[in-house]
Amino acid sequence: MLSYFKEYLDSKTLLLALGLVGIGLLSIYSATVDVNAAANFYRQLAWAGLGFVAMAVAALLPIRTVQRLSWGFFGLMLVVLLVILVIGSTIKGARSWFGVGGFGGQPSELMKVATILAIAAFLSRSETSLSDLKDLLKTIAIAAVPMVLILAQPDLGTTIVFFAMLIPILYWAGVSNFFLVAILVPILVAFGALLGTAAFLVAIAIGGGILYYFRENRFAAAVAFGITLAVGLSVQIMYERLPAYQQKRIATFLNPEADPLGAGYNVVQSKIAIGSGGLTGKGFLRGTQTQLNYIPEQWTDFIFCVPGEEYGFLGASLVLVLFALLINRAIRIAALSKNRFGSVAAIGIAGVWITHVFINVGMSMGIMPVIGIPLPFLSYGGSALIANMIMAGLLMNFYANRKEH
Amino acid sequence: MIGIEDFGLRTRLRLMHAIVGVLFVILFLRLYQLQLLYHSEFGKRSEENSVRTVIKEPVRGYMYDRTGRLMVDVGPSFSVTVTPVSFDTAQVPELSALLEMNPAQLIERINRGRAHSRFSPVRVSRDVTYEVLASVEERLYRLPGVSYDVEWKRTYETGIRAAHLLGYCKEISDAQLTKLGATYRQGDVIGSTGLEASYETFLRGEKGFDFIAVNSKGQMLGPLDGGSRDVDSKDGFDLVLSLDLGLQAYAESLMTNYRGALVAMDPNDGGILAMVSKPDFDPSVFSGVTPADEWVRLNNDPEKPLFNRATMTRYPPGSTFKMLLAVLALEQGTITEHTTIRCTGGYRFGNRIFKDLHVHGTVNVREAIQQSCNVFFYQLILKTGLDPWFDQARAFGFAKPTGFDTNEETGGLIPNTYYYDRVYGKGKWTQGQLVNLGVGQGEVGVSPLQMARYTAALANGGTLLQPHAVSRIYNKRTNRYSDVDAKPVNIGVSKKTLDIVREGMRWVVEKPGGTGGMARIPGVPSAGKTGTAENPHGSDHAWYVGFAPYENPTIAIAVLLENAGFGGTQAAPVAGKVMRRYLGVPDDVWRPAPTAAVPTKDSTASVAHPDTTVLH
Repeated sequence: MLSYFKEYLDSKTLLLALGLVGIGLLSIYSATVDVNAAANFYRQLAWAGLGFVAMAVAALLPIRTVQRLSWGFFGLMLVVLLVILVIGSTIKGARSWFGVGGFGGQPSELMKVATILAIAAFLSRSETSLSDLKDLLKTIAIAAVPMVLILAQPDLGTTIVFFAMLIPILYWAGVSNFFLVAILVPILVAFGALLGTAAFLVAIAIGGGILYYFRENRFAAAVAFGITLAVGLSVQIMYERLPAYQQKRIATFLNPEADPLGAGYNVVQSKIAIGSGGLTGKGFLRGTQTQLNYIPEQWTDFIFCVPGEEYGFLGASLVLVLFALLINRAIRIAALSKNRFGSVAAIGIAGVWITHVFINVGMSMGIMPVIGIPLPFLSYGGSALIANMIMAGLLMNFYANRKEH
Repeated sequence: MIGIEDFGLRTRLRLMHAIVGVLFVILFLRLYQLQLLYHSEFGKRSEENSVRTVIKEPVRGYMYDRTGRLMVDVGPSFSVTVTPVSFDTAQVPELSALLEMNPAQLIERINRGRAHSRFSPVRVSRDVTYEVLASVEERLYRLPGVSYDVEWKRTYETGIRAAHLLGYCKEISDAQLTKLGATYRQGDVIGSTGLEASYETFLRGEKGFDFIAVNSKGQMLGPLDGGSRDVDSKDGFDLVLSLDLGLQAYAESLMTNYRGALVAMDPNDGGILAMVSKPDFDPSVFSGVTPADEWVRLNNDPEKPLFNRATMTRYPPGSTFKMLLAVLALEQGTITEHTTIRCTGGYRFGNRIFKDLHVHGTVNVREAIQQSCNVFFYQLILKTGLDPWFDQARAFGFAKPTGFDTNEETGGLIPNTYYYDRVYGKGKWTQGQLVNLGVGQGEVGVSPLQMARYTAALANGGTLLQPHAVSRIYNKRTNRYSDVDAKPVNIGVSKKTLDIVREGMRWVVEKPGGTGGMARIPGVPSAGKTGTAENPHGSDHAWYVGFAPYENPTIAIAVLLENAGFGGTQAAPVAGKVMRRYLGVPDDVWRPAPTAAVPTKDSTASVAHPDTTVLH
């Protein structure tokens, strides 16, 4: 009996995920108890219960069923995204919420899971080969369609996550170095373009050099360079068209202290919260920054400040260690998995989590831009919690079925 | 199906782990930096964030006169405040009507406060009347964000002004704020002139602080840590002055119609008994809010009411300076008490004639002082020499600041060889320049305070005192008084010399033919000297210096009346009345001395040399 569990139950993923959910609930309680938002805690508690069921379902469904359902799930989520683009309610300037019976939902969170599964399903077809440019473009297209819809909401943060998750999947699935480089170089150039003309030109020069070094044939390199130029130039134009709050967030990232009461306020207060925590923190419900509500809606994107302030370096490190173990577990499962579907999907899940954790925690500590994506398992928000618990469940599923070809 | 070995190269796995590892190392390093390296800074900032400090103003120290009567006090001053974040701008018309102020000005003040902090109350109207306060208080319930706070302002208990001596407080200037740093904050009141300024560090006390927990909306949640970290304010120290309240009031009343100054000093310790400078101002104008037009009026008044004539003027002392030269000549042995000269009503030096008003005949040094014979002293300074005379003047405290408490004084001017060489050039001036100096005319500038000190030194037998207005400082916390240091210096003049000069001064007042009979105090022998200083810009300045009683004097006085004419008729009666009052001789006993000398111009140094101008 015990050996059966050992063989099929991935207790590590389960415990790590539940540990993070527990810390998340504690943090949300602390952040909301004194600011008339305590209802959020109970709502999140309910979501956690629902999430546990979703995780169990994702873990226990036969892997073939999961694989077969992937396309349907993906198609359904695309329809939902289209619908909210047309009729969705606007929260914080973005039409990303979907009202269902009083519960707001963010379909883009579940869209991440659907996209990972759809790409994994596509790449696990025996006839698919990433050395074929057509198949590569198809793979990118699967990610690009939801990306465009989400960017149109507009939700820059989630779009970035989609992009960041695609890279490790392609790399893991064996795309050639040149293609990988051809995807990464435009990002470098786009970032350079945001920093100004000089940085843009330097990025173009470096990017061109990298493309030339990894070239497989000159024509492809030239096309990739052309795309790079086009992306770089259009970023300038797109930047102008971004909603003011996101422009401000980008500008604030470049210098958060310049406007401590305006756009940089959250970052400054969040750094104060974390920095004032010290080694052991101020204690549960004793964080002044948290309890006195210095960080607006701290229970969402800036939740990391709560363990940072109340439990100090020890507590915040524990959170980071749990994440590091969980993500390494996902990579480990990807490596263990004998079937390509599970392996690719596990890498996709690891990619989503590392992107979320690095951007979110980095943002709270002022080393990443404030692009507003939640911290997995900890941030308040039902759809994100459900999506993350489904991903944890899927990992457990892939572990249990790791030996299946 | 393809297994991991088929496409999942070991390098890919390793790279995946490496990238994840590097990203987490970055996060850990940053966490370490923020929480362990920068902890103290962020800890401080989080504390500042969540704690509102409420300042408790200390009560400024009081000032008492020598007998313990309260002269300068503090009373409450109410300011109406607005906290921008909770104030509804729709209430501006009502509030501005209540405060009787322009709505635009009200909005401007609120906005200026908002720019600083939305959560901190700004004072929109300072020192409001009880009526305004009452009407605002009645309507507080419908004026959210409006409140009031209590500050302290100076109140003056008595009928005296002594405005130049006591000084006044003003709201701290930006320049002072930059210089003085942490002790003061915007809007604080600081001693600006007089004793208020020079004893600022004693008077101001120490601020106290209440620490109150505040949330991000600025709502106060109650005392931080149960108030255990609060600091009580410490009230300022009180000053006990040497001033005599009654004497000061009386002296001020006597001086009302004059422009000039009066300094009365205790010749035993240098304590100031009365110090008057006229015209003056009401110091209570500066407590609370000073109306701008009143400030402009005081500043632009051609009579300069803000100027302390008792310590800041530089006038020639005229004949009141003759004792100085007499002391020098007697000490040098240039003359003895029996040396006489013949006064023919004028003195010829070179091709110039220096006149005297009377023909005094044969006079010795006592008579020369008594009758204020100019010819005697014209000659004398030529014999003693310029530089010894300068040194003697320095010994009596001239040509340098006295070190008086208020720090607002002039050192004055006494010329010497070096000075003339510098002004006219070596060899370009003659001994004729000195003749006028012998009678206190010419390039001599002294203040009434210096003159009172000089007179006190003559009165007490040659001890130069440190003039001071504050004799003791009372520490309310320790309940202890500490004396203010006032070190006396012996001038080094023999008793014999002083007795001769003092007797001459006594004859001025007491003997027929003396010029100071109008300063006489019935029943109390006193001594003095009149002076009438020529003034090229207008009427002569009247001087009188004196002390009483003649034996064991308790008061020394110097009176200067600008453009008032003769010292003997103008300044002497004022000085006499003040001394009489101090010595407790009833008013009605006093009659003008029948033998008083006919008012005469007692010093007529006709200025033949155009360069010998009178200094101001």
